[in-house]
Amino acid sequence: MKAIHTIYLHPLPVRIWHWVNAASFLVLIATGLQIRYRESLNLMTFRDAVDVHNFFGFVLIGNFFLWLVYYLASGKIRIYLPPLNLKKFVTGCIRQARYYGYGIFLGEENPHHSTPDNKFNPMQQAAYLGIMLMLMPLQLVSGLLLWDVKGFAGLISVAGGVKIVDTVHVLIFLFFSSFLFVHIYLATLGHTATAHIRAMFSGYEEIEEHGR
Amino acid sequence: MFEHSCESNDGKGRIGFMVLGPLFGLLYVILLPIIGVMTVLLALPEIASAKKSPAPNTSGMCVTCHTSKGVVKTFSNREKMSVAVNLAELRGSVHASLGCNDCHQKISMSSHPGRTFDSRRAFAIDAAAACGACHSDEQLRSKPNHAFSVNRQNAPPCTDCHGAHGVQRVADMKKAGNGNSYCLTCHQLNITKVHRNGERLSLHIDPALLGSSVHAQRSCSDCHAAYSRDSHPVVNYESSRDHSIKVSGVCRTCHADKQHAVNESIHFRLMREGNQKAPVCTDCHGFHAVGPKAAYETLNGTPCKKCHAEIFSMYSTSVHGAAKINGGEHKAPLCSSCHFAHDVQAASMAERMKKACLGCHQDAEAAHTKWLPNAGLHLSAVTCASCHSPKANKGIELRLADESTGEPFTEAQLRTILGSDYENLAGMLGAHGEGIGPDQLWGLVARLNQKGTNAKVTFLGTMDVVDGRDAHLLSAKKNAVRECENCHAATSGFFRSVTVAVVKADGRLSRYKAKPEVLGSMFSFAALKHFYVLGSTRLKLLDWFGLAMVLGGISVPVLHMTARFLTSPIREARRLNRLRKEGRR
Repeated sequence: MKAIHTIYLHPLPVRIWHWVNAASFLVLIATGLQIRYRESLNLMTFRDAVDVHNFFGFVLIGNFFLWLVYYLASGKIRIYLPPLNLKKFVTGCIRQARYYGYGIFLGEENPHHSTPDNKFNPMQQAAYLGIMLMLMPLQLVSGLLLWDVKGFAGLISVAGGVKIVDTVHVLIFLFFSSFLFVHIYLATLGHTATAHIRAMFSGYEEIEEHGR
Repeated sequence: MFEHSCESNDGKGRIGFMVLGPLFGLLYVILLPIIGVMTVLLALPEIASAKKSPAPNTSGMCVTCHTSKGVVKTFSNREKMSVAVNLAELRGSVHASLGCNDCHQKISMSSHPGRTFDSRRAFAIDAAAACGACHSDEQLRSKPNHAFSVNRQNAPPCTDCHGAHGVQRVADMKKAGNGNSYCLTCHQLNITKVHRNGERLSLHIDPALLGSSVHAQRSCSDCHAAYSRDSHPVVNYESSRDHSIKVSGVCRTCHADKQHAVNESIHFRLMREGNQKAPVCTDCHGFHAVGPKAAYETLNGTPCKKCHAEIFSMYSTSVHGAAKINGGEHKAPLCSSCHFAHDVQAASMAERMKKACLGCHQDAEAAHTKWLPNAGLHLSAVTCASCHSPKANKGIELRLADESTGEPFTEAQLRTILGSDYENLAGMLGAHGEGIGPDQLWGLVARLNQKGTNAKVTFLGTMDVVDGRDAHLLSAKKNAVRECENCHAATSGFFRSVTVAVVKADGRLSRYKAKPEVLGSMFSFAALKHFYVLGSTRLKLLDWFGLAMVLGGISVPVLHMTARFLTSPIREARRLNRLRKEGRR
């Protein structure tokens, strides 16, 4: 018999950050598509798309710093850091990959059990560390440079040119757009399809304890 | 004594009379006819002249009619000429002693008026032929400014300069005039000069125009330094153009500052390259009727239209031209307001043109900032005319530039690096009208940036009107392009015309057609890394890559869910098995 118990996994600042992030991502993706494919999409005018994109870009920048300050100040940033022991990290990744690629189909138990201090499985740690400390800053900086190409002309030149900056911005945008499908899908792999999603609203994650 | 004396005197007198009397008588008889002959001979000229003419006085037969102002001769071309003679003028002339028939040899009482002439000019030429009777060709040849007229057909008649009945001694003419009036003695007349190529140059100067020019107080010799009362060299020119170019060089004597500016101009560079059509000072300012500066700043006075008539016509329909024409708006710019008067630059130097626009529209950047995102960027990458000449065709100009300074990379620098390959390249770039492809663009930049060239070159892009003439069709602000979609869409027509431009030594551009796909090709990615227009010049490869990524992202949950669905019986079986085991316990 499986028993369900709840743990407080997502503190309020994290939940606020997450949903602001989520909303901003959706708006930025939509307006980004509108800016890039004006001749094919007609959600709004180019001018409106640029204005909205810029606004939510700055929201995302502020939100990023909310995340950074919260996690650094609380010391919880370590949940993003994979174990220094490479063997342990690789083994954990393989085990998690085996679960998603094989064990889940057989009804095996998820090898990772989230706790407030160990929230992410090794694959999540690797992915989110790369996203939050590399791709997000890169996306925010490239977006900022494109927001004022003339004002940041010097930095853009150092970066190699406006076309390169734009290409980086678009590549990361494409990655995030693609990752979004995976992220949302993985969010449905709780003990019920909505468990993880509800947890991201309430903060309380329902943990299923497998009976013996 | 007295008687003696008388007697003796009588005796001497008688002897003297007898000796000298016949002698004197003989002499008288001999000399009398000689004296008579001499007297007649001396009187002959007077008698002759008295017979020949009625004398230049009022008593002559000719002046009976020709002192009447109402006597008029009509020529075949219906020109009319008064044939009245001013007797006072005639008496004061160097020919006062001549009779009318001395000059008018073909006119006599038996044939008067008798002769007809096509025109007044024909009459003057015919009448002046009589001068040759006394003034020989040798006399003409001795004066350089007369020598040319000897045996020359259509040479101006003597009367053009010397007058007809009031002809003066040349020495008196020279004394009569001073300064410019001395030169104008001849040059206000309709005299011409023939160049080596047969072109005829009018040497006529309108004293009224000269007097109203800004140079009215200058003497002729100030400009025509080689000419004075004592010197009148005859200089031959190849053509009227050659004459203009050489003569206008004198302007720099006083206007050195303007000449410095001119030396930087496209006009001067063209001239230096041997283009004789390039304008010199006199082409814009004229020769003798040089007006004040303000005269050139009017629609009628601007000299540019002489060569750039089509552009001037386009300008006239522009918002600036209309303001000038209709409203007489003083501030409305003319050619020189944007292109400058003396240091006229190639119009392709768009940045300078922009400065000219902003020179008047000083609030333009602030005004654009109110509604246009990234206004500064737009103003630097898009020429004013691109938006403010809405009817003009727009295109993208990719200009080779030094990557670190942004300065144009010139044709000369290209030649230095590429050497003989440059000609091949130029030939290739301009070949067949297909345009430069992405790989060629990449190859060019890679070649220029090769090790050892000491160059770091890239392409900088701007949006401009395709045909520079269209830049003169500036319209009212309300008509300007405002919608972002005009440019920021891949379907925008503005990106269908792409040119590669290299700055030549004279500031103009060598333009080569490029294929529009260079803007969105991965091949030209590195060459165009500094040029990107949102939505319009996106990399096509990135579109496909993005589609693949998104499909990949979607496929993960789809495939995983499918696998989960397909494997659900396994899980169900395992669950039941587990329950059975638990039940046994």
